Amino acid sequence: MSRIPALGSLKTIGHSTPRIDAIERVTGKATYSGDVHLTGMLYARILRSPHAHAQIRRIDISKALALPGVKLVLTHENCTVVWGAGSVSGGRQYVDEIKKITRQKRYVFNNPVRFFGEPVAAVAATNRHIAEEALKLITVEYDALPLVLDQEEALRPESVKIWPDGNISLDAKNEAKPEVYRRGDVEEGFRKADHVFEDRYTTTYVHNAQMEPRVCVASWEGDKLTLYTPTQGTSNCRHDMARDLGIPDEKVRVVCQYMGGGFGNKNQNQDADLIAAMLAKETGSPVKLELSRKEDFIGVHGRWPTTQYYKVGVSSDGVLQALQLRGYSGMGPYRKNSGGIAGIELYQCPNVESTVYPVYTNRAVSGNYRAPEFPQGFFGIQSMMDDVAYKMKMDPIEFVLKNMTRRSNDEVPYSNYTLEECIRSGADAFEWKKRWHAPGADSGAIRRGAGMSFMTIRSPLGQSSAVIRLDSNGRYTVFVGVTDIGAGAKTTMSMIAAEELGVPLSDVDLVWGDTDRCPYSVGESGSRTTDMTGYAVIEAARDLKRQIAEKGLPKGENALIASASPNPKSEGKVRKAFGAHFAEVEVDAELGRVRVLKYVAVHDSGRIMNPLTATSQVKGGVTQGIGMALHEDLVYDRSSGQPLTAGYYGARIMTHLDAPEIEVIFIESDDGYGPFGAKCIGEAGIVHAVAAIGNAIFNSIGRRMKDLPITRDKILGALA
Amino acid sequence: MGKRKRYISRRQFLEGTGAVIAAATAGPALNLKLPAANPPATDDVAPGAPSTAIRLVVNGTEHRLEVEDRWTLAELLRDHLGLTGTKIGCDRGECGACTVLLDGNPVYSCSNLAVWTDGREVQTVEGLAHGEQLDPLQQAFVEHDGPQCGFCTSGQLMSAKGLLTHNPHPTAHEVQAAMAGNICRCSNYNRYVEAVLAAAATKDVTASKGNLGHSTASTKLGPEVSATKRRRNSRVSDTVAGGAR
Repeated sequence: MSRIPALGSLKTIGHSTPRIDAIERVTGKATYSGDVHLTGMLYARILRSPHAHAQIRRIDISKALALPGVKLVLTHENCTVVWGAGSVSGGRQYVDEIKKITRQKRYVFNNPVRFFGEPVAAVAATNRHIAEEALKLITVEYDALPLVLDQEEALRPESVKIWPDGNISLDAKNEAKPEVYRRGDVEEGFRKADHVFEDRYTTTYVHNAQMEPRVCVASWEGDKLTLYTPTQGTSNCRHDMARDLGIPDEKVRVVCQYMGGGFGNKNQNQDADLIAAMLAKETGSPVKLELSRKEDFIGVHGRWPTTQYYKVGVSSDGVLQALQLRGYSGMGPYRKNSGGIAGIELYQCPNVESTVYPVYTNRAVSGNYRAPEFPQGFFGIQSMMDDVAYKMKMDPIEFVLKNMTRRSNDEVPYSNYTLEECIRSGADAFEWKKRWHAPGADSGAIRRGAGMSFMTIRSPLGQSSAVIRLDSNGRYTVFVGVTDIGAGAKTTMSMIAAEELGVPLSDVDLVWGDTDRCPYSVGESGSRTTDMTGYAVIEAARDLKRQIAEKGLPKGENALIASASPNPKSEGKVRKAFGAHFAEVEVDAELGRVRVLKYVAVHDSGRIMNPLTATSQVKGGVTQGIGMALHEDLVYDRSSGQPLTAGYYGARIMTHLDAPEIEVIFIESDDGYGPFGAKCIGEAGIVHAVAAIGNAIFNSIGRRMKDLPITRDKILGALA
Repeated sequence: MGKRKRYISRRQFLEGTGAVIAAATAGPALNLKLPAANPPATDDVAPGAPSTAIRLVVNGTEHRLEVEDRWTLAELLRDHLGLTGTKIGCDRGECGACTVLLDGNPVYSCSNLAVWTDGREVQTVEGLAHGEQLDPLQQAFVEHDGPQCGFCTSGQLMSAKGLLTHNPHPTAHEVQAAMAGNICRCSNYNRYVEAVLAAAATKDVTASKGNLGHSTASTKLGPEVSATKRRRNSRVSDTVAGGAR
């Protein structure tokens, strides 16, 4: 593992650089999946369940098939493909063996249907209007079943069992058990503690709401499928498609040139990909399947809602003695991802116990959304701890500095540690001592208050691949399997190559987003691309430099080709990125309205590869977090199980008028690992933003808001 | 649009998607060598579908077309004129990704029927640059990192263009208010506002308006649907969104 060169020697890395594809994105030339048009292409639409839980008694597709222009209708009767990534026992989506043994299989079309909006049928027709007309001609008879929407309620004995095994999701061994973490003895810890506090926090379903709705164009040439689809990981999408369709990986090509965001709900393959592929196979024509915004809201996935019970024991000097979480995550009726609740790991405490139940409900399916298990758990535990600090009559920062993590799970050392520096420098920049006051001390109609939060988030190393070709014209072509979800991966990969090769960025070309052209990449999820694929680019560049030293520069038709598939390790240490957020809010005590006046986000994500885009990442993450704290929710009608707020307006997604100025401060530390010392950044901004807003509201009005989103009605209720 | 390519083979398309893109650093050089990977689909009107002959000007070029009455303007632009720079994010007037200028005013093209644009003038993101010369707004969006995923960018640009045409030197709040109907889920709002203010500070931004070079036809058929941009200063809890399909 080489050490990082000194900052001053870097020519490209560390310098603010506009995206290499920015011009395509501002001129309308960037080709997103929905812009792909193939000759003779059919259009597809999906009929979705109008019931939250129902047995399908009969489907009549004859009238739809009789409509001129309709080519094919798929239902659960003629299509029994399992969507592996749609529901995996224990959320362990990457393990094929577990997918084989699971008893809770999710088919592309299921009977019974288990949530409002679940696919019931799909139509392919010569144009989208005919496909939409055909949906109206499909007759479905349902026998409605009882439903349950809340994750705690779902575990009551009288609640309907959504699966025969019950409503606790089965784990990798097909056992209905919660995820448990323990160290020390919490009961002993509570006995020793001078004070014990208990409370309950809840968070809601927040949709990823990426701007580009789900779309897929599928085309077969013989036995080979080509899929133009917005995916965060071309490699894992290809593998999932091949496994679900029972064909070898090399018989699937996944292409994603530009994608309009995803924040976690465009990873893996999606049911839309399978439906388009099957319609195209059976009709013999290319098929474009487009989801409407409402379908995307209820038919893809959003962040899992949680209920969190905390019990905290502290000694009279404010030191944690015991920490216990009992949590429930609402997964919808299929467990697409883990359902974890993070945050316990933030505290140094000898006695810890976390028990989290992933629970089935008849709501929209939950899954990964930017830092999947973090913002909801961090809101819960950091609100809880902020409250403990208040009750112990301590400044929240003093409490955090006394109790925050110093080693991973109190045991394993971090690869480096700058959490305290993040907090202290952020407090200075924010002028914490000036802005924070005794909670509730402000008593006017407009009340100001300040809050803070902090974070650690995984920044692991891992396997990825890159190829670099040098031709006789001096062009360096980098082949990487990234798709650039919007975080700037293409630019970062090019910058890394230019830096390591010692050439200007303009000498580097990039080939990306195509499984037939590019090597494996981990994909843009888990904030891993820079660390993993970026490291592979460095290794490939080193290989190329060695070849140049041995063979000289290529001439004529010759080219040099270098490749690397490194799998670096962090040598028994835990790599984490660190951060601290500080928010000042203003609460209108008469209207319940919250405005964010000032927001300072301090992050140590190691070396910042491109300050321009990294700053945008943090600003965007924080702003999404503010939306989660204050507005966003998918509200359900409790009797029918119908979502009422599916869409941008209803779910109250942040707009220009809601977004405050976010000040971003980077502390760049080198831990000796990762490409030029980089750590993760993509998810870091949202992780603790919700908690900072919640704590600032408490400081403002002296009332602890325990249920997200913190809407006006809740604030007025708390002040009443 | 006389030279527009109506059909493209799949093979041509595949070659297109594999093309490498020169790594451009900052600077206005426009890479026009990119193959058109998004050809017009077909302007065939479905048999039996009610349709109307219209005449409209798009980015300075006049089109006489037979359009199905149910086509939205967004659909006409994307599927039948090959202008896929206009994106459809929600198709129901909530997100603003499909914003275009209709007679100089920003409108949601998903919420205007194509037949309503008869006799009118449309400007899309493809009409912003002059050849290889980016509009100052586009240049500012590049330099200030406006687009993250880029899917809302065309709409943000067109709303900003509409604003600067009428108000060449807006305040930050005026920018936010004018673009409140353009959602960016990457939430790069700070950057977009910075970029619009930076573009407004450059002199030539207003000079580039009215580059279409065609007088706007005066006939207007059908209902006038003006800019549907909502101002969402006040939020309503538990708003019920559109009904179930």
